[in-house]
Parts: sequence; structure tokens; C-alpha cells
Amino acid sequence: MSEAAAPQLELRGVIKRFGGVAAVDGVNFEVAKGEIVGIIGPNGAGKTTLLNCISGVHHLDGGDIRWNGDSIAGMAPHRVARLGIGRTFQIVKPFGSMTVRENAAVGALFGSAQARRGVKEAFALADEVLELVGLKAKASHPVSALTIPDRKRLEVARAVATRPQLLLLDEVMAGLNNVEIDEALEMVRAVHATGVTVLLIEHVMRVIVGICRRAVVLDFGHVLVQGEPAVVLQDERVIQAYLGERYAKRLKS
Amino acid sequence: MIATADSRRRWQRIFLIVGAVVAAYALLAPLTSLDAAQSANVPLLADKFWFRIATYIVMFVVMATAWNIIGGITGYAAFGNVAFFGIGAYTTGMLIAKAKWPFLLALPLAPALAALFAALIGLPLLRLRGHYFAVASLGVGVAIGELVQNIDYNGRPVFGGASGLFLPIYAVGHRGLFFFYLMCGAAAIAIAVTWLVLRSRFGYGLIAIRENEEAAAVLGVNTTAYKVGAFALAAALTGLAGGIFSQWNVFINQDNAFPIEYNVQMILMALLGGTGTVFGPAAGAVLLQLLIQFLGGSLPISFELPFVSTEARPIVAQVILGVLLVVVVIFVPRGVIDFFGGRTRLSLAYLRRSLRETSL
Repeated sequence: MSEAAAPQLELRGVIKRFGGVAAVDGVNFEVAKGEIVGIIGPNGAGKTTLLNCISGVHHLDGGDIRWNGDSIAGMAPHRVARLGIGRTFQIVKPFGSMTVRENAAVGALFGSAQARRGVKEAFALADEVLELVGLKAKASHPVSALTIPDRKRLEVARAVATRPQLLLLDEVMAGLNNVEIDEALEMVRAVHATGVTVLLIEHVMRVIVGICRRAVVLDFGHVLVQGEPAVVLQDERVIQAYLGERYAKRLKS
Repeated sequence: MIATADSRRRWQRIFLIVGAVVAAYALLAPLTSLDAAQSANVPLLADKFWFRIATYIVMFVVMATAWNIIGGITGYAAFGNVAFFGIGAYTTGMLIAKAKWPFLLALPLAPALAALFAALIGLPLLRLRGHYFAVASLGVGVAIGELVQNIDYNGRPVFGGASGLFLPIYAVGHRGLFFFYLMCGAAAIAIAVTWLVLRSRFGYGLIAIRENEEAAAVLGVNTTAYKVGAFALAAALTGLAGGIFSQWNVFINQDNAFPIEYNVQMILMALLGGTGTVFGPAAGAVLLQLLIQFLGGSLPISFELPFVSTEARPIVAQVILGVLLVVVVIFVPRGVIDFFGGRTRLSLAYLRRSLRETSL
């Protein structure tokens, strides 16, 4: 019982400052194994910074991040990745000179202990992952031939190929049209179905309501509210944070 | 799609066969004895001076191929690789001249010491990116040369100082041939290492670093270790060339063991041939070195530059070289290796496309 209740990822008072600005200012929340949790919040709320803190891209200025009970604060990005935390970037960062397949294979070659393998096996795993995200037909294409939605898929494929236990997705649906969002939602569901916990940042509320059991709202580096997405989005403080005090009042009256 | 892949493979095979035959001729013909070749007046082989040039060319094949590992595959433009050449040269030089070691025992220490130095200097240096790394590595390259010349102990230069270091002549029949083959061996090792790297996890990690270092890191690539590893590997191969050079040349000093222009030349060779590829830098080294020697008037094929006096010739040669390289960098950005194997053909459309790419 108690084992099941122990959180997979635990953030305790996480602080990250840039000069005098505290982009993340004492954030606490937990993610349980197998959850899909959404992080939302207005621009500049510290969402991406928080993801950078978890994946080791940023060093913390305070607090602690625990992964299966052990602290991962201050760990180099490659070590975090090897522990089983995969991530994508909001602005996609493909390996431009490689094919789609090779991009995914890099994730399989390195990545977590479950992924790390020889070159041949890595390409086999890459093919599996490309099928999962729907890029199989374009496996041999150069990255430059991919459309924006496909590049976002590739970003996910590469992270999934590292065989993570937790996947951090930074706005993989941004800039997609409605049909493409539906396809991307299917992709995230498919990845989640393989037993991966998902923590995603998203501005598209349809996504949050559609697949997240829980949403965490950030504002000015703090957790404003967290809970069931439909409830959270009705919260007055959340509306205020997004649309301003005046609009929130008008909405109420 | 399939047809082009097939014809590409066929062209690659033809290219490989032709290359192998040419290489076999170059390597095996002298084996039948230089004297026989001379009496039969076989072109090129009849000239002993040609062997010196040929050895130089192969030496640059080693250096350009080695530079490609850090500069081409990993994407860190190292401008001070001559430091490793010099360290290799002085390692064997000191061991042979001062410690009286036999050459073949001293030689393996040249790449070892160069690699060790690269690993130590790489840890701080490879934290820098882009121009900062290029300039810092250039500084190291220059500094090491100055240090080697100027370190004194009890008022006497440790490494021979300004007067250089003399090595005993290596006793072997056909000395010129011996060192030519030894350098060819080093080149074969360098090319084989590159081939292996590009097919390994290590190689994929290095290319990932070149394409996007942050993305490589979050996928689990230990970027620091990989960069230092690539730097040390390049240093080892460059040091090997230096080690062979010192015994071959019998005399080393700051000028011939740490020539600043080698830094630029090995990069240009890799660019000319095609960075990141297995054979590109080697092809570039042969082409550029032949051109340098041709313009300098050292090749058996003699020619006259119009309106140029003999004294001004080296300067004019440098100018021609410079202009040519600008043209190459703009119009053949992926190197001449692009034209081998039937992938692309040199055409006006190709040049126009390249210009569009490089002018971005």
C-alpha cells in the first residue's frame, strides 16, 4: 500500500533564480507513477524553467527534487536521463544531419539503463518507437524534410527511445492545428499506455482536459492551484492569473 | 529511389576499386626497390625528392583525418592541433636523443603523451563553444611551442632550446621508403579509427554533440567525457604523426615541430575534402598538399607562373591558394568527396545550390 502511494517524482521547495528574478520560487508537488499531469500557467510563469530544473539543465538555487526517493538535484543532464527521465524541448532540437531513424537511435543508444544497447539493437528500438509515434514511413527521411508536427513527433520519439519511466513534454502541441492536436494526443496516449508517466506543459486547454487527471497551475514561480483540470480551470485565481483581475470580476458578475 | 541507391552503390564500388589500385601502385611499386624504379625511369618514383613530398602528403593525411574527429565529427573547431604534433615530435625526440631509447619503443609514447595532454587541457577548454574554443585552442597551440623552446633548467635548455634537437639517424635500409610506409601505416590507422568511430555509439554521441549539445545531454550523452575523448583521440593520431616526423627528419625545433600554418592547413584540408566523412580529409590533404607543392615548384612537373619572378613565387602561391580556398568553401561546402561515389555531379546547378546554402 505505502509503496504504491510513494511518489515517483517529488519537488520540494524548488527555487531557480536568474539574477534577481526567481523564475521558480518554492514549487512543491508530486507525481505518482503512471499519472499524466499537466503544468499550465501564463507566459513567464516558470514552466519551462521547472522542466529544466528536473532534467538537470539548470542547477537549483534551493529546494530538492527526488526521483523514486533519491535526490537528483544538481545532477548533470545525462545522468538524469540515464535514471529514466526523458524530455523534449519546446523549440525542437533535432540532429539536423541525421535521418529520422538515426535521431531516434541516438536516444536508444544512450538514454536509460533499459535503453542503452549496441548500434544494431538501437536501430531496432528506434524503428519500434517511430512506429509508436507514427513516423515509421518517414524513417529514412532527413530531418530537413519534416513538417513542424513531424518534428515535434521526432522530438517525442527521441525521448521515448531512451526508455524513460517519466517523460517531460514541453509544449509538443503548440503550433499544431486541431487535427494535428488530435493525432498528437493519440501519440501521448500510446506512449502513456506503454507504462510511462507523463508530465506535460501545455497551453492548449483541450489537451489538459482531455488527457490529464491532474493539472498544476504555475504563476510567478509559485504553484497557484492544483487538482482536477476541469475544476482548476474554473478556479477564480486561475482565471485572474490568465486574464487579469478585471476580467475575472466581470466573469463572476 | 531504389535505382539511384543501386547506382550509387555501384559508383562507390568502382571508386573503391580504382582507389585501391592507385593506392596499391603507390604503396607496392617502390617495394620492388627504388633503384630498379630509378633505372627503369618510372615517372615520379625515379625521383628521391618525390618520396619526401609523398611522406609529407601522407603526414598531412594523418593530421587532417585526426582533426576531423574533433573538428568535423564533434564540431569543435580546434585551431591548435599542432601542439599535439609538436608534443609527439618532442616526446620521441627527447626519448631517442636524451634517453637513448630505440625509435620503435619511443614512438608509442608520442600518441600517449599527446592524448594525455589533450585530455588535461580539454577539460577546461571544451567548456568553451564556437569562436571561444577556436581562439583558446589556438592560444594553447602557440604557447606549447614557446614553452618547449624556452624552458630552461639550471640555465640550460631542457628541450634543446632555440638550437633544436638532433636525433641519431635511424639505421634502416631505404630510409626514405621506410618512413613513407610508416607514415602510410599511421594514415591507415587514422582512417580506420574514423571509420570505426562513425559506426559506433561513440560516433553517434559525437555527431549528436555537434548537431545539438543540449539535446545530446538530455538523451544521456555524457558530453564532457565524449568531447574530451574525441579531443584525445585526435591528439593521439596527430602525436603519432609528430613522433614519426621527428625520427624521419632527424632534427626538430620550434619551427618545424610547431608550425602555426599547420593548424590552418589541416582544417582547410578537412574542409576541402569534406568534414565528418571517413575519406574526405585524406582526399583534401592529398589535393591541397599537392597544390601547395605544385605552386611552390617542388613537384617534378615544372611550370612557370607568368609575370612572377622566382623570389615572389611562394607569396603568389599563397595568394592563389587563399583565393581557391575561399571559392571552395563557398561553392563546395561539403567538400570534394561529394563528387565521388556518384551522389552528386559538379554542375552549374550544384554550384548555385551551394551558393544559396552558404550565403544564408
